[in-house]
Amino acid sequence: MQFDWWTFAFQVINVLVLMWLLSRFMFRPIAGIIAERQAETTRALADAETAKAKAAEATRAAKEEEQRNASERLKIIEAAKAGAEAQRKTILDMSRKEAAEIAAKADADAKRKHRSDRQEQLRESAALAIRIAGRLMDNLPDDARILGYPERLQKALDALDGEQRNALASEPGILRIVAPRPLSDAELAATREAIRKALKIDPPQTVEVDASLIAGLELRGRHGIIHNSLSHDLSRIAEAMDRDDHV
Amino acid sequence: MNGSPLTAEVAFTIGPVAVTMPVVITWGIMAVLFVFSVFSTRRLAVIAGPVQTVLELLVTTIDAQIEATIQRNPAPYRMLIGSLFLFILVASWTSLIPGLEPPTATLETDAALASVVFLATIYFGIRSNGVRGYLKTFADPSWVMIPLNLVEQITRTFSLMVRLFGNVMSGVFVVGIVLSLAGLLVPIPLMALDLLTGAVQAYIFAVLATVFIGAAIAENGTKHRPPAPPAPSETKGTN
Repeated sequence: MQFDWWTFAFQVINVLVLMWLLSRFMFRPIAGIIAERQAETTRALADAETAKAKAAEATRAAKEEEQRNASERLKIIEAAKAGAEAQRKTILDMSRKEAAEIAAKADADAKRKHRSDRQEQLRESAALAIRIAGRLMDNLPDDARILGYPERLQKALDALDGEQRNALASEPGILRIVAPRPLSDAELAATREAIRKALKIDPPQTVEVDASLIAGLELRGRHGIIHNSLSHDLSRIAEAMDRDDHV
Repeated sequence: MNGSPLTAEVAFTIGPVAVTMPVVITWGIMAVLFVFSVFSTRRLAVIAGPVQTVLELLVTTIDAQIEATIQRNPAPYRMLIGSLFLFILVASWTSLIPGLEPPTATLETDAALASVVFLATIYFGIRSNGVRGYLKTFADPSWVMIPLNLVEQITRTFSLMVRLFGNVMSGVFVVGIVLSLAGLLVPIPLMALDLLTGAVQAYIFAVLATVFIGAAIAENGTKHRPPAPPAPSETKGTN
């Protein structure tokens, strides 16, 4: 066995050249592309991290915006509630006031209507009473319409004060005796006697008939009327009842 | 083949220089690897094709093996370790081509490979620890060990050479003997076994070279230093 130094030298050189060739044309490009891929992966990861951070930031901003909107919404709702409450109170007050006014007006109208109806009723009642009294008087003896009234006329004249009595006495030609029917001689004499006693004058000779008196005797002059009849009494009763109702 | 099977056959001579067949076959292997490298790396892309994927797998495996052994950034050592592995592997598998013997079946080729590893060990040791630091490692743990450490440098290089030579040469011999005694197809299982042996020897040679370099660069109290992180800029273009 021989050791060939030339072969050894050639092989050393060959190995060194082969190392350079493989390094230059295989290992370096392959390592380069691996490094490039790693760099690209790292860059992609960094981009992904950046995108993730941006997304997180956007999410945080969106949450803040949402919270802000919620707060604003609450404020708006509170303001709207307060406004609505104030408006409700105003409307309610106005409604109450209006209702009170309507109720007061309705009450006044009702009272007025009641009073009017009552007066109408009283008027009708008075008219009815007068008619009833008239019918009743028709069934009574004829002298019932005059009986007792000359004395009542004298009392009424006596109840006048002096001035009123003098005013009536100053116009003897103008005074008229009014009766519901023509008077008999006795009734006329009694009537005249009563007037004479009260006024100290010569009483009128004629009698004026007014059936609406129903019963009684009246003395009418320029300065006044001495009411002394059933119809006048009924009217006074109706007025008194009306006054009582008002009270 | 001439008289001795251990003597390399001369292919041609250039003046007084005899160029033997292992050298010629080595040139062929270099040409094949060069052409393959050029064509396979011509269109590299981030999204790798099948061939690129295999090459990337090869490079990352070599890097992982180096990093696991020496706990350093593998880029500076990739050129040496990767080239040794690929050359020994392809050289061992040339026995599949009839009429060709693996260059690694000759002692000169294995001596050349072991010498390169020996010199690389010294180079990386000095680069890592400085001349003084590297020389001081021979006196570790005490100056008494200096002769033994010097002898160890020689013997482990020698053992590297003889291991590869013995395994590959024995395989070639066995196949040749069986072929001369039996039929044409009988040596095929042995040839298949020879392929496995060649791959294992390439791996062993590369790993041992890595271990020797790792021991050389870690002999200055840096054995427990953690591996450097594989930064892309550091990895790119430093081999």
